[in-house]
Amino acid sequence: MKAAPFDHHAPETVAEAAALLAEFGDEAKVLAGGQSLLPLLSLRLTRFEHLVDVHRVAELHGITRTDDALRVGAATLQAEAEHDAVVAAAVPLLARALPHIGHFQIRNRGTVGGSLAHADPASELPTVALTLGATFEAASVRGTREIAADDFFTGTWSTALAEDEILVGTRFPVWAGRTGYGFAEVARRHGDFALAGVAAAVALDADDRITRVAVGMLGVGATPVRAGAAEAALLGTAPDAAAVTEAARAGMAALEPADDLHATGAYRRRVGAHLMETALGAAIEEARRG
Amino acid sequence: MSAPAAGRYVGQAVQRKEDPRLLTGHGRYVDDIVVPQMLHAAFVRSDLPSARITAIDVSAALELEGVSAVFTGADLNPGAGTMQPSMMAENPAAVVAPLTPLAGDDVRFVGDPVAIVIAESRALAEDAAELVVVDYEPRDAVASMEAALADGAPLVHPELGGNVASDLALPEDPELEAIFASAAHVVTERIVQHRHTPTPMETRGVVASFDPVTDQLEVWLSTQGPHEARRTFARVSGLPERHVHVRMGDVGGGFGQKFFTPREEQTVVLAAKRLGAAVKWIEDRRENLLAANHARSDVATVSLALDAEGHVLAAKLDHLEEAGAWPVGGTGGVGPFVAMLFPGPYRIPRIWWRSRVVWTNTAGRGAYRGPWMFESVAREQMLDVAARATGIDPLELRRRNVVGDDEQPFTMATGMTFSATTSATTLEHAARVIGYDDFRAEQARARAEGRLLGLGIGLYIEPTSTPAATLGVEAATVRVESGGGVTVFLGTAAHGQSIETTMAQVVAEHLGVAYEDVRVVQGDTDRTPFGGGTGGSRTAVIAGNATREAALKVREMVVGVAAHLLEAAPEDLEVHDGVVAVRGTPVRNVSLAAVAAAVHNAGTGLPPDVPRLLEATGRYQTSSPTWSNACHICTVEVDRITGQVEILRYVVSEDCGRMLNPMVVEGQVHGGVVQGIGGVLYEHFVYDDAGNPLTTTFLDYLVPTAAESPRIEIDHVVTDGPNPEGVKGMGEGGAIGSVPAVVNAVADALAQVGATVTEQPLTPVRVVAALEAAGA
Repeated sequence: MKAAPFDHHAPETVAEAAALLAEFGDEAKVLAGGQSLLPLLSLRLTRFEHLVDVHRVAELHGITRTDDALRVGAATLQAEAEHDAVVAAAVPLLARALPHIGHFQIRNRGTVGGSLAHADPASELPTVALTLGATFEAASVRGTREIAADDFFTGTWSTALAEDEILVGTRFPVWAGRTGYGFAEVARRHGDFALAGVAAAVALDADDRITRVAVGMLGVGATPVRAGAAEAALLGTAPDAAAVTEAARAGMAALEPADDLHATGAYRRRVGAHLMETALGAAIEEARRG
Repeated sequence: MSAPAAGRYVGQAVQRKEDPRLLTGHGRYVDDIVVPQMLHAAFVRSDLPSARITAIDVSAALELEGVSAVFTGADLNPGAGTMQPSMMAENPAAVVAPLTPLAGDDVRFVGDPVAIVIAESRALAEDAAELVVVDYEPRDAVASMEAALADGAPLVHPELGGNVASDLALPEDPELEAIFASAAHVVTERIVQHRHTPTPMETRGVVASFDPVTDQLEVWLSTQGPHEARRTFARVSGLPERHVHVRMGDVGGGFGQKFFTPREEQTVVLAAKRLGAAVKWIEDRRENLLAANHARSDVATVSLALDAEGHVLAAKLDHLEEAGAWPVGGTGGVGPFVAMLFPGPYRIPRIWWRSRVVWTNTAGRGAYRGPWMFESVAREQMLDVAARATGIDPLELRRRNVVGDDEQPFTMATGMTFSATTSATTLEHAARVIGYDDFRAEQARARAEGRLLGLGIGLYIEPTSTPAATLGVEAATVRVESGGGVTVFLGTAAHGQSIETTMAQVVAEHLGVAYEDVRVVQGDTDRTPFGGGTGGSRTAVIAGNATREAALKVREMVVGVAAHLLEAAPEDLEVHDGVVAVRGTPVRNVSLAAVAAAVHNAGTGLPPDVPRLLEATGRYQTSSPTWSNACHICTVEVDRITGQVEILRYVVSEDCGRMLNPMVVEGQVHGGVVQGIGGVLYEHFVYDDAGNPLTTTFLDYLVPTAAESPRIEIDHVVTDGPNPEGVKGMGEGGAIGSVPAVVNAVADALAQVGATVTEQPLTPVRVVAALEAAGA
């Protein structure tokens, strides 16, 4: 389990990193925390002639808050975001999802941007980004652009980032008013990829009617997915427990999770509906207290 | 039954001598060995489960700079000696697969080594391995016992003429059939235990260095048995045993996988000999999961006949054991032991059994902590099936059938005789600690709320220190050094058992020195007496009693010299913590250092009748197993939606005789229990129907972690073992009792809603399927 030979590049600016990606094209890959890439390289399941290690790129690190968004630099460590009070206050859903990523040793190395760009459909951060409608900032020698979360995740381990583009940061919207959030997942063991998981966010008006709702799932498709049917069923209502159960059932019914080694699609549907009910219930409960 | 008193050192939870280096990351493992100009090996392995090799092209690999050699079967197989362990190699009747260092004309499982690449670094060796081109003509494979036993199934080993390695059975028994025909209750179930792999934290590894001038082979090995390894390397290489020196350092676990000396290690030795060089091979995790020996994979159809009061009248066991393609240790066939031990601690007056061992195109089976433990899985699950069928509480059913502590020696219907076990006592203790009746009440309350709690019992007896071949003997040498310190030389091979600690305790106790002044040396064939290796729960009993004898002999020597120096009678002297004193007159004393100085200094002039040496070898030999026993009880909650199992409480009541060190005993129990839990709930090595392995990384082969480990409550029942030190073996037991306890607990929870599970692993999907099948 030794990686095939590669050249290691250690740029110190985004411009240098982008230049390397432009130069080497599909022979290059960005290396962030290495928690997914290095095992794949060691198993020789993938190989690149050039690794562009962005660890030293200072402008990729850091968390900043504006009125309506939380910006997380791509190379910010997951552990840093997990323990950041600003993150917890601005985007509670992100803070609640982070502890579910692997184990603390992994989060001490793994980066927020790395997980998003790796785009494993069973991982937590892509689903949070999709659920909240995050905006991705990409840079290349051609310039910078923004990509909406709805357009970002294009398939298992694939994103809208072009070969020569590097993910610079991600802006998570900050929801205002009476809001609540829920995150729930089921994994074989503590820290494993989820068999199924749900992220939910709701905002209520003064009469407890849902004015805004977002439900995303992990582990049930080729990409993170929104449970649109559940959202539609709840928007504008002040649901009781039975209505939440019904919405979760409807949300799950529209999805067709696949079988794999660890769970059948039928199992994922059963557990997914339950998790959706749990996460939504928790989110609504929290918003009502707010 | 009164518990024997602990000694000054024996029986105390003294701190481990191993801990300072192991807990600070300073252990020294085989990968830490560096030999000047050492080369590195990587294997080219088959990615097909069965295929004829039509061509191997190594030219591109050889052209890579830094590659020293690429060997195939054509290079290393001719002239290689047998690769079987001693107990098979020396048994002409043994049925063994035709194992060669590298694949010959064909490959027989995914992972079969086809070539070995030797290069300046492991990374380079892997680069070159990718360049070796092997042309295969694929054949149909048999990836399961069912497929292997089908009519017209492809043969795993065409040379052997069939896929059944062995088929042993008792003759038809009309009387037993009559018992079944007239019994008040008959239960029959198919019990399945799936394939595991031992997954030691340190994978296998070897450094082999051959000097063609002196014909000397130096080997550093991650092993459980350096002396067995030496014999194996001598046989396969044709070198005389005296020219083979095997050493081991710290070993990060074995669990049976390193008990014999596997194929790859032998192949690396042959490559080193061929090159006249030093070669290192450190198995990576993928190789370990793919090709190091696997374990378990048993199926049995079991029937019990019971009378109206729940007494078992007779049993039938039809058992299949999967050997894989190249089992480590011969056929891997523990099947007959499964059958012979099936009655366990219960009165089962009559039994019929059949046991077949089946070849498949999968990784070979090998030893794993309690290799025959399927007997406990099958029996304890069946007792719970019988309890449900008869309406008798499972604890009560066991009470009615268990052999009493005072009814031993007891001979099972299979002919095995056990003695000095306390199953009935541990059953009661475990039930008391878990609060059996209270739990049943809690279970009923939870059920009323719609929650599913369950309780499972695993009661077993274990033949430890079984004296097969060289395993019934061990020797130990104790030497007082010139300054008065003590060195102990053992043929053992610790890989997590705290042998440096426990054997130092034995020496400190019986020689009369301080624990701190004793050092244990093991794992070196040039320095230590021959030993059968560490495994089979044999070290405490066999090495422990040998060490005791050696310490007592040296004590006698020390006393003899001290008697001369003190001008006292030997029988008036006592030895404690390195001081020999006249009993009742402690001021008349001499230190062990002074005794050693007298012996080592020729000028002192000891008279001829005084011992001239402070060194002795003890030997212990046994011709029958030492039985230990335990009862495991756990309680679980099954999540009705997700099918996940949470262990609520875990209790072990065990009797391993006098404990050399209770902390070490408990550590062994903890490790075994967690392995058993892992086996039931998480671990499963999966092949698809075509024979492709699907779980070759830790992403998919799920071992239990600390997060999945419950707190384990241990109750010790201490009775004297049938040997001078009073000990019984116990290293494997935790992994035996835990499996049926957990399975039965889940089954107990599910039974409340009419759901049944008899097949492991109990994955969330399987539990949910059982609930759905029951409409629950």
